[in-house]
Parts: sequence; structure tokens; C-alpha cells
Amino acid sequence: MITEIIINAFLVSFMLVIALFIVNTRKVIFTILLAGTYSLVAALMFVSLDAVDVAFTEASVGAGISTILFLAALSFLPKEEVQESFNKNDIFALSICLLIGGLLIWASYDLPMVGNENNPVHQHLVSDFIEGSKNHIGIPNVVTAILASYRGYDTFGETIVIYTAGLAVFILLYNRTSKETNKSVKNEISKK
Amino acid sequence: MINEIFGVWNYWIVFTLMMIGLYIVISKKSLLKKVVGLAIFQTSVFLLYITFGKIAGGTAPIITNNSEEIYSNPLPHVLILTAIVVGVATTALGLALIVRINKAYGSINEDEISAVDLVDYHEKFSEKKNK
Repeated sequence: MITEIIINAFLVSFMLVIALFIVNTRKVIFTILLAGTYSLVAALMFVSLDAVDVAFTEASVGAGISTILFLAALSFLPKEEVQESFNKNDIFALSICLLIGGLLIWASYDLPMVGNENNPVHQHLVSDFIEGSKNHIGIPNVVTAILASYRGYDTFGETIVIYTAGLAVFILLYNRTSKETNKSVKNEISKK
Repeated sequence: MINEIFGVWNYWIVFTLMMIGLYIVISKKSLLKKVVGLAIFQTSVFLLYITFGKIAGGTAPIITNNSEEIYSNPLPHVLILTAIVVGVATTALGLALIVRINKAYGSINEDEISAVDLVDYHEKFSEKKNK
């Protein structure tokens, strides 16, 4: 129990340190790699909080595909950020963040303690899901049972979202100019 | 005592991470950095949900033969699984927009983009005046 607490506290503080470094880097490649590391440490954190399915999704999708997408985008973009000095806008942003953060931390005392069995989250639905996935669906992994069966429509909606995003990316990056120039060249040839 | 400190420590760090993400989104001028800030914010929200689902002394929600076993709450795990994949879709869309903006403006810095817009606006305005 005590080792679990120490590991948890260490990992979560490590994430904080990485996030602070991300704020300060100016080389874009460092930012991207640090973001990948951040996702990976988050995946470790999920393992220690018993969410193994979330952990391997985060490690493969959050740390893997996301980083690849960033690196692919970086090949078209400037490699270094413009130097910024600390100005009035930053003070404004910082004060807003401190205010909201302070309020959230103040409110955190009203949240239920982590890991307590009698928390309201654990009182409803869950026992039904665990029993149902054993008796009705026959899959030992409860997360899969809920994802594919009880909340199948959610997963279907998620697929639609990904399809829409993929379509939008394709439309944005589709090279129209080359086709137009092809057309104009063809027109000129036909005129001749 | 230690349990009580740990009980809120996770929340505190999660909220701090959220605010770091928000700060990056508000104050950084580079559009790419803003997307990274959004990702940080997102991951911290995931962590908050998974923290809610944790039961001390429980195991991962995979059913074993031991009937006395306590399982952590699987419902937040499912919600976050969906959210992670949708998060990557939004990141991809944001990056595509940034690449497109870089093609049109030659920069991904907010100030430079609005400067280009301002110059364009003034040129149009002066053309109208000359007519």
C-alpha cells in the first residue's frame, strides 16, 4: 500500500516537471518529444491506478500515433519558435490560471478521497456491469464488455468522429493547385 | 495521515497540470505549442477520471476466479478510452489546420499571422480609396 502511494506520488510529480519543461522549451522538436514522454508517464500512472486498458491505449495512441503526427506536421513547419519576452498578456494569462487553479484546489477538499470504497462513483451501475459481463456477455475483461456492448453506441459515435476528422484532414491538405494547373495546361494544349 | 495527503495530492497535481495546459494555450504565440498545451490539458482530465475510478487494494477490472476480489471502477476507464481516441482525432485536425495556415501565411506565429492580415486589409482599403 505504502509503496503504491510513493510510486503514484513520484509519477504524478514527474508529469508536473515535464509539463513545466514544455512551457519553457523553444525548439519545437524538444516540445514534441517531451509531450510524448508526458503521455508515456501518464500511461505508467494509469497502470498504477489499475486502468490497464487505458494505459495501453494511451501508450500506443497518445504517445505513439500522436508523436508521429506531430513529427509529420513538423516537417512542413518552422523548427524553432520566435523568441518571446514576458509581457502584459502573460501576466494576464498567469493570473487567470492561478485564480482558476486556486479555486479548483479549494474545491478539491469537497471531492471524495482517492481510493475510498464508499465513494459515490462506486455505488451505482458498476456491480451490474461486473455481474453482467460475467454472466450475460461472457468476457472476463469488464472494460471491453462495456465498451463493445453496454456502451456500443458511444463507440459507434467515436468511429463517426474519427471518420469526420480524417475527412476534414484530407480536405484541408488535399492539393488543389496541382489539379488546377493541370487543367490550365490541358486547356492551353487543346487551344493549340 | 499519509492516506489523507495522498487523497488530495493527486487532485492537486491534476489541477496544476490543467492550469499549465491552459496557460500554454492562452499565452504562447506558436500555434503548434497551443496544440501541445491542449494535449496536456486533455491528459490531466483523463488522469482525474481514472483517479475517481481507483479503489485502494483493488485490481484491474478483469474478472478472476477469486470471488472475494475487489475491482476498480471500469466505467471511467471506458469513457477515457473513447476520449483518448477522439483526442488524437482533434490533434490531427489541429495539426492539419496549422500546416494549411503555414502554407497560406508562411508562419505559425499568431502575431505574424495577424500582421499579415493587417497589411492585406490596408492594401484592400487603399485600393478602394484610389478608385
